[in-house]
Amino acid sequence: MKIVIIGNGIAGNKVAFSLRERDKQSDICILSAEAYPEYDPCSLPYFLGGEVARKDLFRKKSVDYQQHGIELLPSNKAVSIDPDAKKVTTGQGAEIGYDKLVLAHGGDLFFPPIEGIRSEGVFNCKQLSETEKLKAHKGRRAVVIGSGAIGIEVAEALKKMGYEVFIVELLGWILPTLFDETTARRLEAALDGYGIQVFTGEKVLRIQGDPKVTAVLTDRREIPCDTVVVATGVVPGTGLAKTAGIETGRGIKVNKKMETSVPDIYACGDCVETFDACTDETAMFQLKHNAIEQAEIVARNILGENASYLGAYAFARTHFFATHAVTFGKTMRATECLLGKSELIERENGKDYLRVVLLNGRVIGGQAIGRYADAAGLLIGAMWRKDDMDRLRSNWRQLPSSGAVSFWPAISLAQLLDPNNRL
Amino acid sequence: MEIRREQLLIDPEKCTGCGRCLMACAMQHCGSVNPSLARIKILPLPSHEIHVPVICMACEDAPCIKVCPMNARLRQANKTVVTNADVCIGCRACVYICPVGAPAIIPYTCQTMTCDLCEGDPAGLWCVTACDEGALTISKSDRLTSDKTRARARLARLDTKPV
Repeated sequence: MKIVIIGNGIAGNKVAFSLRERDKQSDICILSAEAYPEYDPCSLPYFLGGEVARKDLFRKKSVDYQQHGIELLPSNKAVSIDPDAKKVTTGQGAEIGYDKLVLAHGGDLFFPPIEGIRSEGVFNCKQLSETEKLKAHKGRRAVVIGSGAIGIEVAEALKKMGYEVFIVELLGWILPTLFDETTARRLEAALDGYGIQVFTGEKVLRIQGDPKVTAVLTDRREIPCDTVVVATGVVPGTGLAKTAGIETGRGIKVNKKMETSVPDIYACGDCVETFDACTDETAMFQLKHNAIEQAEIVARNILGENASYLGAYAFARTHFFATHAVTFGKTMRATECLLGKSELIERENGKDYLRVVLLNGRVIGGQAIGRYADAAGLLIGAMWRKDDMDRLRSNWRQLPSSGAVSFWPAISLAQLLDPNNRL
Repeated sequence: MEIRREQLLIDPEKCTGCGRCLMACAMQHCGSVNPSLARIKILPLPSHEIHVPVICMACEDAPCIKVCPMNARLRQANKTVVTNADVCIGCRACVYICPVGAPAIIPYTCQTMTCDLCEGDPAGLWCVTACDEGALTISKSDRLTSDKTRARARLARLDTKPV
């Protein structure tokens, strides 16, 4: 059996190496658009900030592929798929036949339609080659457009490199999809304290300067700068799937076995549209842990197991300097449009802050800053199990302390949610 | 399914919260009796008059390995999961995703650390030795209700009651 995997990211590699672990016979081939062995895009901002060496970015070396009998074709971007002839065509014109095909090429950086976005001095932090260009660039004032997790991490890295850093966010608050306004305002204040200026609710109209960037013009102000980093998010790559006639929505559509609408083609990672594990609604969480889990399911299904994906979940943390925050599940804003009785539990203690979103007495999301964040795992567990918090809050004092091995997480959780309890 | 050879068991009913295990742990790993360098945390639950020693249980399908942005969480030969201090950036993703919040934070470097079962120290597990109350014990996996023993039980049932 010949298995071709398009994409040499976290998902693609996980599929390849999981397959090889279980099946020593099949031919496995990875098509990579980039020239490197697998590296971790999550670490790129830390490489930029100098916290990790370049060699530590790589999860695999070229020899690892050889040792496992996996053929890696670097700098070979797949451009089209012919599902009838079972062939993939690459940018170099080569045709590669397959028995099973896996699409794991991830997403593409979203470039907002801003004048001057291709000027000299505009960078991104999505790929290693781009990050290296940014690292080699010498500048003093940087504007980060977009304040998602990557935007914040890049801003911190640039600050550490000695830049004066500004963040421009179109929506009302930073990390808008991950955090609610209250939490985000606290993080914003923390960023401000570290000398990173944040402008929210501002639209970038133009990047000025030709050919070199001189300023960013927003609808409220002009920010002189010599470096611009675009961190406006990633859109799933669906172009390739469309050449094969695969059904797509926001991303490539897959069933619970991670099969696409075309037989013998699977998809996983950032390029798929999946569903939320806790609410079952269609969702896109382009996060590392989801990619790894999806890839595992693909590998097992290719080998004939009947493995079913449990769903993706939102879990993200952000940290800059000494501020640590975590978010999971749904935000209060995303809950407002759901039917049912929603409830918000907030606790604060100085700089520490906790926010738990309940729907009909069940945890469906939460955010925490500082010490409260350490207990996030208990809340995530309750969310997964759909524990009844109303019941827990009424009976936790009566829970038996003998046999407490099974009860202490519940007791601990109840104390966390009880506003009268000191923590 | 492969199972661990050894598993640390905790018994909150016996734990008095004395903190001797913390000091033993810090001594074994850092050569200092500073409890803040221990890989064990003691969570007091005064409402129920118990103390819970919280230790990394090295989950079979450990979520911390998946969420770490630096791939610093590594499964070792003895099945424990430890943090690679060379690449850990102290983001605490492993603490937040952990079902019990087990990873401890090294105060000097802000990196995380978890139980490595003293990595084959011939003197055994220092925390188990230090605990006079028997709240921490080491168990060989055949005493646990693992998948293997469940499978064995199922087989035994089939033996006695042929279908």
